[in-house]
Amino acid sequence: MTERVPVNPGAVEWSGDNPGIYLKTDPAGGYVTLALFFRVVLSPHGRGTAMLVLGAPETALGWPQAPNLMITDNQALARYLIDDFVVNMPTFRGKVGLQAATFLPLTDARVSGDVRTRHVETVRSGELVAEMDWGDLGPPFAVEVDAAQSATGTHQMYSVFLEARAASVRLDGVPLAGRLAERQLFGRTISTAFLAFSETWVRPAA
Amino acid sequence: MPIGIPVNAGRIDWTGENPGILLKEREDGPWSALALFFRIAWSPHGRGEAMMIYERPDLASGPPAAANAVITDNEPMARYLMREFVARFGVFGEVPAFAAMPVLPLRASATSGDPRGGRYVESVSSDTISVELVWEDLGRPTAIELPPALSGTGAHTMFSLLVEARRASILVNGRRLPGTPVPREQAGIRTTTAFLYFAETWISG
Repeated sequence: MTERVPVNPGAVEWSGDNPGIYLKTDPAGGYVTLALFFRVVLSPHGRGTAMLVLGAPETALGWPQAPNLMITDNQALARYLIDDFVVNMPTFRGKVGLQAATFLPLTDARVSGDVRTRHVETVRSGELVAEMDWGDLGPPFAVEVDAAQSATGTHQMYSVFLEARAASVRLDGVPLAGRLAERQLFGRTISTAFLAFSETWVRPAA
Repeated sequence: MPIGIPVNAGRIDWTGENPGILLKEREDGPWSALALFFRIAWSPHGRGEAMMIYERPDLASGPPAAANAVITDNEPMARYLMREFVARFGVFGEVPAFAAMPVLPLRASATSGDPRGGRYVESVSSDTISVELVWEDLGRPTAIELPPALSGTGAHTMFSLLVEARRASILVNGRRLPGTPVPREQAGIRTTTAFLYFAETWISG
C-alpha cells in the first residue's frame, strides 16, 4: 500500500455522480446497450446533467435512426465528457455509436426512488423520455484508483459505488435490449450496473 | 499520490456535498453567524437536503427569537447528521444555538453559479425562513483525503473536494448577517472559514 497524503497535488478535472448500466444478450458476447448518467457539479465547462444512451453501440447512426443519443443541459460539458473521458473507457472504446450519438437538449431531469433499494434517473428532451433504473442495490463502498487502474488510464479517481443486481434502460418506457452481466472491477466480481456518487477525476501532478 | 488499495474496507456513513460558512465580525471575536448545508446522495436514512442555519450562535433559542434552525426534506437524515456529525464539528456543535434548533420542513431549494467561476449560491426555504449562502472569490479545487486524526469528527476517514471562498455571506429572509470569513488551516492548507465541499464521503473504521 502506497503512502497516503491528505492533499492531492493533482488538478481536479470534474466531480459529480456518474452511474452506469451495461447490458448484454449473450454473457460471452459484447454489450448491446450502454448507458451513463452524469450529474456534474464542477468542471472546466461548469455544472450540468447528461444522459448518454447507446442502444446500438456498434451502429454509426444517431437518434432517431438508431437509439444512440446524449440528452444534456450543457452541450460543451457533454462533449468534454465524451471526448476526454468516455472514449477512453474500455467498455466504450471503438464503439462507433458513441461518436454518432445525437445531442438533444434536456428539458427536464428528476431523480426518484429510495437510494437504499432503488434509484431512477429520468431525463426528457421534449416528448422523448429516457430512464435509467437501478434496483436490488448493495451497500456502498469507497474506491480510489490510480492512473493505471482508472477507466481512462490517465486519471486518479475517487468514487462511492453501489452494485445493482437489477437494472434497465428505457426510451419512452420501452426497455432497451440486454440483461446484466458480470465483470471484474476493483478486484471484485460485480454486475454491470452501478451507482457511482461523489466521483472526482484528478489529473496527477507531474 | 494518495492512492492505496482500490477499495476502502471501511463502512460508508454518508456521501454527498457539505459546504459551509462561518463568519466573525473581528478575527479575535466570537462567531457572528454560521451555516452548514448538506446535499446527501446516500446515507442510512436515504438521500436529501438539510440546511443548518445559526443566525445567533450565542443564543439558545430558535425562531422567532433567532433563525437558528434545521431546514430539511428528510427529517430522519437531518437528525442523524445533527447527532452523529454536526455535534462533533467543533463550533457547530458547541455553541448554545445547537441544542435549540427546531427541524423545519424544506419547501424549496436551488443552486446557482459555478464553483469554478466567481460565485456559487445555495438557497433553501421553509415556510418562514429563507436562507441564501453565497460564496465568492473562489479558489482552486483540491481533492483531499483526511485520516481520522484530521477529520471533523476525529473518528472518520473523509474524502472531499475543497473549493475555498475568500468572500462569503449568509442571508436570512433577504437580510445579510453580520461578519466575514476568517483564515483557518485544514490539513496543512491555509484556507478560510467559507468553503464548498463536493464529493464528500465519510467512512467509519
